[in-house]
Amino acid sequence: MSRYFYYHVIYVGLINVMLFVPWTLVQHRFDGAVSAMAIAVVLGTFVAYATTSLYLRFPQKSLPDILNSLLPRWLALTINLLASTLWILAGILVIYSYSATIQQFFNPDMNPYLFLLLMTAAGVWGASRCTRSVQFAQEIMLLISAPLIIMILFKAVFNPWLDWDAIRVTAGYIRTPPSFVSLCAATFVFAGYNTLAVFNRLLPQGTQIRYRWIIPLFCTFFLLVSFFVPIGFHGTVGVAQYLYIWSVTADSMIMEYGFVYRVLYIFLLLYTALSLMFAMNTWHTAMEFLKACRPKYKPDPDEYPTPKINWLINIGFAALTFAYAIWTNEQRNQLVNQFWLIARTFSDITSVVLLSFLVWKTTRRRRSQIPSDAAAPES
Amino acid sequence: MIEEIRNEFKNATDLFTNVLDNGFWAVEIAYFPSLCDEKIKDGVLVPLSYRFDPDEFRRMLNSNPKYEHADDPKEWANLILKGYVLLKIEGKHFSFKSDRTPVTQIDAPTVESTLQGPQTAFTEDLNINMFLLRLRYNVPSLTVEPFDKGTLSRTSLFVVYDHRLVNAKILKALYKQLDKVKLDLLQSSGQMVKQLTEKNHRVFPTILQTERPDRVADMLSKGKIAVMLNGSRFVLLLPVRLYDFMHAMDDEYEAFWMVRLLILVRYIAVALTITLPALYIAIVSYNPEIFRVQIAFTIDGSRAGVPYPSFIEVFIMLFMIEALIEASIRLPRIVGSTATTVGGLILGQAAQQAGLVSSIMIIVTSVVAISNFVIPNTTFSQSVRLMKYLFIIIAMIYGISGVAVLFFALIVYLCGLRSFGEPYLALFTNETKELPK
Repeated sequence: MSRYFYYHVIYVGLINVMLFVPWTLVQHRFDGAVSAMAIAVVLGTFVAYATTSLYLRFPQKSLPDILNSLLPRWLALTINLLASTLWILAGILVIYSYSATIQQFFNPDMNPYLFLLLMTAAGVWGASRCTRSVQFAQEIMLLISAPLIIMILFKAVFNPWLDWDAIRVTAGYIRTPPSFVSLCAATFVFAGYNTLAVFNRLLPQGTQIRYRWIIPLFCTFFLLVSFFVPIGFHGTVGVAQYLYIWSVTADSMIMEYGFVYRVLYIFLLLYTALSLMFAMNTWHTAMEFLKACRPKYKPDPDEYPTPKINWLINIGFAALTFAYAIWTNEQRNQLVNQFWLIARTFSDITSVVLLSFLVWKTTRRRRSQIPSDAAAPES
Repeated sequence: MIEEIRNEFKNATDLFTNVLDNGFWAVEIAYFPSLCDEKIKDGVLVPLSYRFDPDEFRRMLNSNPKYEHADDPKEWANLILKGYVLLKIEGKHFSFKSDRTPVTQIDAPTVESTLQGPQTAFTEDLNINMFLLRLRYNVPSLTVEPFDKGTLSRTSLFVVYDHRLVNAKILKALYKQLDKVKLDLLQSSGQMVKQLTEKNHRVFPTILQTERPDRVADMLSKGKIAVMLNGSRFVLLLPVRLYDFMHAMDDEYEAFWMVRLLILVRYIAVALTITLPALYIAIVSYNPEIFRVQIAFTIDGSRAGVPYPSFIEVFIMLFMIEALIEASIRLPRIVGSTATTVGGLILGQAAQQAGLVSSIMIIVTSVVAISNFVIPNTTFSQSVRLMKYLFIIIAMIYGISGVAVLFFALIVYLCGLRSFGEPYLALFTNETKELPK
């Protein structure tokens, strides 16, 4: 069952493009991005290992379940609400920037809100399913898009127009002191483990997540590709001119044998799937966090048919997306993205600390219980 | 007894009632001659008349399994309607089972034919169907539970499963659904499917109908439940998954890699039949720049004479093909071939030469139609037929990105479906593992 966990790791590793991770890194390419990436590989791997091991200590329990059962109610409620805000925002940001991308590269004449409506509708539709259905859909979508992912990655890395000198020059800046924003951006690539916050419910008792070296291996690869390939295509200076770096990079490649000439369209189709998957997962997680705030909440990963509350919460998220789209513009969106990346890093580290504290607390409680249990039959 | 029965069946002139007096006993008898067969002669009339011996007759009443006590007057009407003969002998009431079973020839499957698999199909008679099933799946643990459904038709049905393999939870869910069945006339398995599926399951079938005994046996061995209906060629199987609808029985009998290839072809065909018309609209009207220049020009050139937007063209052609399919199902065989020839000619040549549709559209239409027939199951193929219109509508509004998003929504929908609590679409979940052993 642990394969589902790696699907999360992989698509979160790929979605970084839509959260302006490469853009953020490229802005700091001469002052600390490369060293930040090097640190992020170590830090991200460490946090990923720690978080997964900690969640496995609480079999079949999601983060809200753990918090509700072990912390005082007010504290659990606050953390749940904060976490759900973070998750909602992730879905909103990706949906917004994907709609903006489509608006620029696919349907420039279309009313931007019309496409946003389609994306949010699909997000609501996906996220309101039960956890198990979300997981199944996730697997199928990822396997369908896998050939596209592999194709684009290979095309990019083995492209004759890729200028390895530019990449070498940029990599030489590794001795500059790391910049904080770049570090936060780079660790996001490793953040797939976070989805265990809800999907841990579906890992059966006694599951071991084996082959955890997949996380550093794949995520480092994704991180390096999403930072260095655009530099290789556009040059060390020219790369900073673009906002949607990867769309432009994909458009630098062509396919010689096939119906479709420009790789850009393949790339956009692939990111339709990935963005929708990301929105589905984040909103679903946020929804579960919100539902866990109710006093008489009972977790059920396989609820069927879909309860009305799922629809209501997710339609609320969709409304928030529209509000965000009306309020924001390119600059504000950048700011919110950076803010989100930083907040996310903090929340990840906090959750590791919090979970270790809770593990310590439960083991202590269990230890203090054993003597009293052993004493019970004698009395 | 006769009076009571007469009271209940006031206007049933085809009911036969009489008092048979052979000099020793006066026996009251009541039955419907149309529902009973010749067994009544050897079972009742001969021993009662010229071979009469009271002791022997009493012995027969006790020992012949076809005779049963029928002391409850409330049951009488029901028994008579099922083809039993009611007798009143020496003050006691008996029923004699003499229901007429039409002699049915077991014939070849008409809907799900195979190349080299078994060439028998279920018949419309429950007992023969049970025989056909026992021929292929004959173990002591095979459980058969009889039910009666339909207030007017009183159709008898069997719930069949292997009690070592079956999942008790699913069985319970099935009984719950069976209790809810409200029907006057139960005439076909399709009605039963409608009754058993929940309201939000009405787009894709979550119960498989099959006419093949080998498929039922195969499914029973996987712990599934079969529902057999009297008077219907088709047996219901549940719970099922999407793959079961895409599975032809030939897949069990042919070479491994060949089968894998064919299954792949089928899934590609489904993807094509759902998305191709929508993609045509999206490419022609929204994003011609996706294709390389040469192909874009070819498509546009073939549309040069067409005076209206692409979606109208698509609707015209799809209406034609749907009408053609409907016509060839309903028409008698002889006229059917004429209709297809005429339709094919019109669709293929004339419409394109007249400049009403482009030649690419003709290719699209035929690919859509052929791909749709590749699906082995009729019910599923009809659901797929319906799906493509949703895609066309979304392509009219959003172009190609709309098609991609809707495809995602379709996958989510299928993953969200449950067939009696079991997931409908999920990859690599080993179902036999989940079953209690």
